Amino acid sequence: MKEYQLGEFEEIVLLTVAILHDDAYGVSIKEDIEKRLERKVSVSALQTALRRMEKKDYLKSEFGEATAIRGGKRKRYFKVTKTGKAALDHAKETRMKLWSAMPDVSYEFIKVWISRDYLPHLGQHAS
Amino acid sequence: MDKSRLPPPSWSTRFLSWFIKGEYYEDIQGDLEEEYQLLISSKGLNKARRWYSWQILKLFKPDMIKKIETQNSIEKETTMFKNYFKIGIRNLWKYKSSTVINVIGLSTGIAAFVLISLFVKDEISYDRHHIHAENTYRVTVKNYTTDGDLSRQWAFASGGHASRLKEDYSDITHATRFYAWAFPDLKYQEQSFLGEQVVFCDPDAFDIFSFEFIAGSPETAFPDIYSLVLTRATAIKIFGSDWQEKDVVGQTVTLSRDGNDAPFKVTGVMEDMPDQQHFHFDYLAPIRFVEMILGEDAANNVGGNYNWLTYIRTSEGADIPSLTENANDEFWDKYIGQFSSGGNARDFYDFEFQPLLDIHLTSNLEGEYETNGSLEQVYIFSIIGILLLLVACVNYMNIATSHYSRRMKEVGVRKVIGALRSSLIKQFLSESLIVVIVSIPLAVVLISLALPYLNEFVQKELIFNPLIQLDILIGLVLLMLMVSSMAGFYPAFFLSRINLVQALKGEQAMNASKWNFRSFLVTFQYIVTIGLIFAIGVIESQMDFIRNSDPGFDREQMVSMWLPRGNYSNETFRSELLKHPNVEKAAFSSRIPTGRLADNWGSRFFKGDSAIATNFRLPIVAVDKYFLDAYSIDIVAGENFREGMATNFQQDTIVTGYYVINEAASKALGFNDPAEIVGQKLGYGPSEGRIIGVMEDFHFESLYSPIVPTVFLVSDRYRRISIKIAPENTRESLDHIENVYAQFDAETDPNYRFVDDLFNEQYQQEERLGTMIKVFAAIAILIGCLGLIGMVGFIIETKIKEIGVRKVLGASSTNIWMIISNRFLILIGIAFLLGLPLSYWFMTDWLENFVYRTPVSVILVLTPAIAAVLLTFLAIAYQTIHATKVNPVECLKDE
Repeated sequence: MKEYQLGEFEEIVLLTVAILHDDAYGVSIKEDIEKRLERKVSVSALQTALRRMEKKDYLKSEFGEATAIRGGKRKRYFKVTKTGKAALDHAKETRMKLWSAMPDVSYEFIKVWISRDYLPHLGQHAS
Repeated sequence: MDKSRLPPPSWSTRFLSWFIKGEYYEDIQGDLEEEYQLLISSKGLNKARRWYSWQILKLFKPDMIKKIETQNSIEKETTMFKNYFKIGIRNLWKYKSSTVINVIGLSTGIAAFVLISLFVKDEISYDRHHIHAENTYRVTVKNYTTDGDLSRQWAFASGGHASRLKEDYSDITHATRFYAWAFPDLKYQEQSFLGEQVVFCDPDAFDIFSFEFIAGSPETAFPDIYSLVLTRATAIKIFGSDWQEKDVVGQTVTLSRDGNDAPFKVTGVMEDMPDQQHFHFDYLAPIRFVEMILGEDAANNVGGNYNWLTYIRTSEGADIPSLTENANDEFWDKYIGQFSSGGNARDFYDFEFQPLLDIHLTSNLEGEYETNGSLEQVYIFSIIGILLLLVACVNYMNIATSHYSRRMKEVGVRKVIGALRSSLIKQFLSESLIVVIVSIPLAVVLISLALPYLNEFVQKELIFNPLIQLDILIGLVLLMLMVSSMAGFYPAFFLSRINLVQALKGEQAMNASKWNFRSFLVTFQYIVTIGLIFAIGVIESQMDFIRNSDPGFDREQMVSMWLPRGNYSNETFRSELLKHPNVEKAAFSSRIPTGRLADNWGSRFFKGDSAIATNFRLPIVAVDKYFLDAYSIDIVAGENFREGMATNFQQDTIVTGYYVINEAASKALGFNDPAEIVGQKLGYGPSEGRIIGVMEDFHFESLYSPIVPTVFLVSDRYRRISIKIAPENTRESLDHIENVYAQFDAETDPNYRFVDDLFNEQYQQEERLGTMIKVFAAIAILIGCLGLIGMVGFIIETKIKEIGVRKVLGASSTNIWMIISNRFLILIGIAFLLGLPLSYWFMTDWLENFVYRTPVSVILVLTPAIAAVLLTFLAIAYQTIHATKVNPVECLKDE
């Protein structure tokens, strides 16, 4: 099986590009992530992720129109490729597999709570 | 909208466009600007500007920075360098003669420079290996006359200085004496070693000097007074090369002197003392042993016997000048005060703490334990080394720039194709690098060949092996880069400056006869050459002057040796020697001419009944009545010693003395006519008596020092015998001397020396210096000549058409010769005017070392100039003869 590597942020970016469909360029992707996930995104992080995924062939891009507000610079529109889609599917599948394999008792934090409660009592007894 | 648009910070944008990958720039900048404009309306201008710059700064990371571009430029550069090297090598190959001249010049220059550097590095590294070297001082004592003039400074202090200084001054934390006492014989089992250099010292010695122990340790070196520390060499000598397996620590060896034996226990073995140390001892033993033999008081006496090498270590950051001043102000009054013979000790003595690190290079005191180096010599050689390197570089510059006519078209074509000036500079620098890279292995070979000779000459064991000595390897690489950039920079800038149009038209881009930087370089070479020839001349004539100067005593066929040990009558020894017909004369003395006048007592001169202490130093030599005759020293007034005219010194008594003084002493005592002083009364040490004669002045010491007032008297304190032998059958006479010596002392060797050898040895250092300067100067001159030959060749080449035209118009060979050499003659003239005063100033400074020196004659001054002119003419002649013989048709036909 082909190895699909996708970082957490990369996955978000890739999904957002897919969501925005025909309108995915730097500013819109950034705005969308910031609005939907309520987190700040730096241009640098976004661009790095985009270019990396483009190099991995998950994305493709082409120049679009230039606007005045951009100082006459053209936009670069991104689109998810077939490989990109496959990578997204793969990521989702892997997660689902893991989720479904997880029994309820494996919630480690419950035990932690129990033992934290228990130990002070033990200590008091000993004294 | 567009009009109200506020542009983002332009320097940030510029920065972005500078670093970011080209294909990313447009859309990323667009995105940034779009958001920036939106931000202005929502958050305000300042915030937006900050945000913009900050985002760009964050974009400055590997993923975003132009990478492919830089890779490209490296590739481009390496390709170009490959091209430069290829063209460079082809050019070097094509013009073999100039390449050979360059390589020979550079490799000899580099080799000489490296050799000199090795020598200089060794000289300046003396005593630095001692951890406390910075805080270590030698206590030296200065002796003043009654007039307050410094008469002598001794490398020694008294036996009492060390302990008292340490006790009285808290800044002096450690103090030790070194005393090479008695040179005892050493016995171990059946073996015995005669006259070993056992040096006795205080235990502090191990805290002052970092002696490296192989067996035992500094702490356990002196558990009692019968302790002996060996060095590696002496351990091998006594116990064999497998001493390390023999457990030598704890072994007992016997020291014996004059029939007295003392058992010593070996307590440790040190590494041999490094060459770069100003003293070398074979054994160390506790000085308390000597104190036991001589008596505690005698060994700690401060009033006399200034024979003890004394070192102190001070605390970190001690103020040495004020310490010296305080110690001097208190010490003499506290411990000596008034002399019994009158006078205050403080007025006659002074001590100075001499920094350990200065000793080897600057110290030349009375009684130095070993001959030291000289700072002057280090300077002279450093200067010559640098000059040599410069001359070699200048040579390269001259020849490379002479090339320009050949390279003009190449440079022009490169420029047309688009070469930048910087890449042309790189090209020519890489050419000089190639020449240097070729020269370095040759230089390494030259160094390896020459080093044994240099070592023999400077009596050092310098090592040169870049494969194992990392510092030398690094040094060579640095030198390579330095020389190639130094030699290459001018040609590179010169050749890259050539005007494109002129270059391609084939015009003479640079006028060959123009005064330019190159004329300056040639002048520099002439200055160096003229200066060095002058220096050689001065050294040679001074050495000649000394070799041929008459010291005033007869040193031919004179043999001298230390007296045999043991008890015997001097008269018997003398008569045994004289039994051989070829042994003509024999005379005893305490010291011999060529030695030093190191012994003296206070003296006083009587005017009527009142004695006046003399205000000059009057050293003494104890001789016998045959001495003056043996050395052919004339009596100018009065008489020589006769039988019964001995001064028999005794403890605590003033005895009758008979004195022969030299003319200098007579004059110093105020008698210009020696006849008048004969019969006058003189007091000398614990003796008083008449001056019976005045001898002619002669050079007892070397010609470095003036003839000083000296007194001779007959006393049995003899240490040496001088034997005059007939010129024929020298071998036979020497055999006889050896046999007689063996009859009196079978254990030691006579070790006789010819006095004329001793005489010459006084000037050995100058001879050596002279020879070394000559060799290196010759190399510099040789390199200069090579350059000259190369340059003249190119000048002729560029002028070949002019020569052709002139010949057609009827010029003779001589005319052409003059045209070419004219320019050089002017340069020689300038070099002469500049170089000679410089060299003259330098050399008169050197001559100052000699009290008796050769005058600098007109011939000496003119020789360098004449030599330079001759060398130039030869170089020109060699090339011009060829040029003038060429048929004008040959050189004019192609245009």
